[in-house]
Amino acid sequence: MKEQVYINKSSEVYDAIVIGSGISGGWAAKEFCERGYKTLMIERGGVVEHRKDYSGENKPLWKQELRGKVENILVDQQHNIQKQCYAFGNATKKLFGNDRDLPYTTKPGTQFSWIRGNMLGGKSLLWHRQTYRLGEYDFNANKLDGHGNDWPIRTKDIEKWYSHVEIHAGISGSKENLPNLPDSEFLPPFEMMASEKAIKSKLAELYPERPLIMGRTAHLTKPSELHISQGRVQCQARNECHAGCSYGAYFSTQSSTLPAAAKTGNLHIAPNSVVHSLIYDEKTNRVKGVRVIDNDDLSEREYFAKVIFVCASTIGSTQILMNSTSKKFPNGIANSSGVLGHYLMDHNYNSVASGDIDGFENEYYSGRRPSGLMMPNFYYKPDPKRGFLRGYALGASAYREGWDSQQHQDGLGVEYKNKIKQAGKWRFGLYAQGEMLPRFENQMRLHPTLKDKWGIPQIEFDVRFSENEKLMMEDAAEQSIKMLKAAGLKNVSGHPTNGPPGLAIHELGTARMGRDPKTSILNGFNQSHDIPNLFVTDGASFCSSAVQNPSLTFMALTARAVDYAVKEFAAKRI
Amino acid sequence: MKNDNESTTASASIRTNEKSRRHFLKGFTTMLGGVAVGSLVTGNAISVAMAYVPSNEKILTDGKIFNKNQLVLLKQICSIVIPKTDTLGAAEVDTHGFIDNQLYHCHTKEDHNKVLALLTLIDSRAKQQGSNSFIKLTAKQQFQLLTELDLGEHSFDQIQRADFKLLKQYICFGYYTSEVGATQELRYDPVPGGFKGSIPYIKSAPTWATRGLFN
Repeated sequence: MKEQVYINKSSEVYDAIVIGSGISGGWAAKEFCERGYKTLMIERGGVVEHRKDYSGENKPLWKQELRGKVENILVDQQHNIQKQCYAFGNATKKLFGNDRDLPYTTKPGTQFSWIRGNMLGGKSLLWHRQTYRLGEYDFNANKLDGHGNDWPIRTKDIEKWYSHVEIHAGISGSKENLPNLPDSEFLPPFEMMASEKAIKSKLAELYPERPLIMGRTAHLTKPSELHISQGRVQCQARNECHAGCSYGAYFSTQSSTLPAAAKTGNLHIAPNSVVHSLIYDEKTNRVKGVRVIDNDDLSEREYFAKVIFVCASTIGSTQILMNSTSKKFPNGIANSSGVLGHYLMDHNYNSVASGDIDGFENEYYSGRRPSGLMMPNFYYKPDPKRGFLRGYALGASAYREGWDSQQHQDGLGVEYKNKIKQAGKWRFGLYAQGEMLPRFENQMRLHPTLKDKWGIPQIEFDVRFSENEKLMMEDAAEQSIKMLKAAGLKNVSGHPTNGPPGLAIHELGTARMGRDPKTSILNGFNQSHDIPNLFVTDGASFCSSAVQNPSLTFMALTARAVDYAVKEFAAKRI
Repeated sequence: MKNDNESTTASASIRTNEKSRRHFLKGFTTMLGGVAVGSLVTGNAISVAMAYVPSNEKILTDGKIFNKNQLVLLKQICSIVIPKTDTLGAAEVDTHGFIDNQLYHCHTKEDHNKVLALLTLIDSRAKQQGSNSFIKLTAKQQFQLLTELDLGEHSFDQIQRADFKLLKQYICFGYYTSEVGATQELRYDPVPGGFKGSIPYIKSAPTWATRGLFN
């Protein structure tokens, strides 16, 4: 990136300010820049340059400090929350940030793990890259059972935007024509292993309504001309994505949206700029800009624009709105409805099951596939007999045991050494990704007294899984065990687990969309009901969690909102 | 977010890292047909943090957790658990030194004490056999004693057995993530170039070194 893209102080009134540089912020910046808008992207963390700053990339284990693990004392003092994320390690610890600087509280008796990604690119550098559209059943779910408010949009409103973002980002997957999970614009899917194919066809016989499909993922299995022109190449199947990918083979802000935005010459970036609050002009009922605290020296500055997109992550965006108070909005800007901070959701991963696969002794695989399989939610149609609302998807994958599994066996010496270097038995597992109901009680709020080092009130979480989620996970474990046994697996075991919300890192809700300004923050275009030039397009805007990984929907909602904002702007309604 | 530590040690590593580096670059050249390869790798961090550097030297000094005598004993245990075959064993790649360093930095005091107690236990059982230390026993006696410990048999209980399994895990982690363990004993492919769901497995062939680490 050219140096002059980065700014510190500026009195310019930009056409658009985008707060955040993750999946949503990257898309907002790209879409605005490509429409000729002078755009300022504000990022609270430091700059991560594509390729240059992927300092942990392509290092064999024996060349890594502590073989990829993190120093004990450092974990204790700085990463006690962040270490809970599966992707936390020596190469990624800086991206996750220092918990000491990022304090938050939870209401006594509740737990919430808040995983961060405060740097240019945000969590687009740390995500798991699974990408699924929401379908008509998902958009209808709240309306049908009365939990949460009705989504103000349906697939017809968003499908064109899904296509738009998918073609640019590059999504691999298989066309399935499923009623509950719309297809995307696909690059070829990753291959299944022979053992997985066998389980898939066995389950297809026994459970025709529960297809097992290849996971859909934002990896370039076969880059298009467009991707190659972006400087991106085919996925090399290293599966070390979180250490950074100089091939640009998975979608991130750095690999995909940022270069497109920068190419227009309309992009500026203000890094190390922690947004304190929005500047509101009561006379015009517009937001004029943002107040920023410098990440490093804590000095204050302001940036100005005609339209503001808040894309700071679900919790981050709502924290900014809550901390932007005025006479008109004493409880947070754009919060005339009073629902800001409520209906916080995550996904629920609390069921696991696995078993041994007989045979396939002559089968192996090469490469490290950066995706597993998935069984889409088969409970997409409501059924009162089920005993709980909504449903879950099941993630799945097979593997063949290596030294890491076989080291635990008895034995020493030559025989032991020669045994554990060989491939062992095949294993297969299913884990649930369940929907979490939107409940008013599940909320985040500003702590009345505690502040962080930038002087911003800390978040207090009050979030629990409800009885519905518990019953759902019991069912998921039961169904998983049943299916694995039916598929012929041996030594099948499984059980519901008891992890707290937060660790799916799919925080959703808290500034929800809706048709009624009295019960929602945003309209069907992610625009504030109260303030026409204010938009929130990340996960905060969700009305329900559905079961799908949400990032693809962040992209589509954001691109759609920019298109709308630009048209409204031209019509002088903003 | 550049790690400044990394450039300083980079030059020392270039030679040993040359193979994977070439492989990495070859990947780019193939994909891009040579276009813009220079710009792709400019400043790319194919470099090395301060990793534990294995030593071939005789143990002359105390380690970070283990004293000299304990390191000698640990080295002997490494050589029995994963001996030299047609590839080097755990002792030859300094797994004992690695464990001393890794445990010091990444494990709890409780873990340290478990291994320390285990070493004391092993020596004390050797003394019961009339030797003044484990390493003075014959090779056969040493193997026998550790086998009993590994199975929790004779004078060893299940807690001691579990602690020894833990030590075996440290030895395996140290060995299979070492350069010899990963690239010679097992199969290591830093840049597979893509994923194939089905390739033949010939009986007794080595597995992928990254299994369980990057899968």
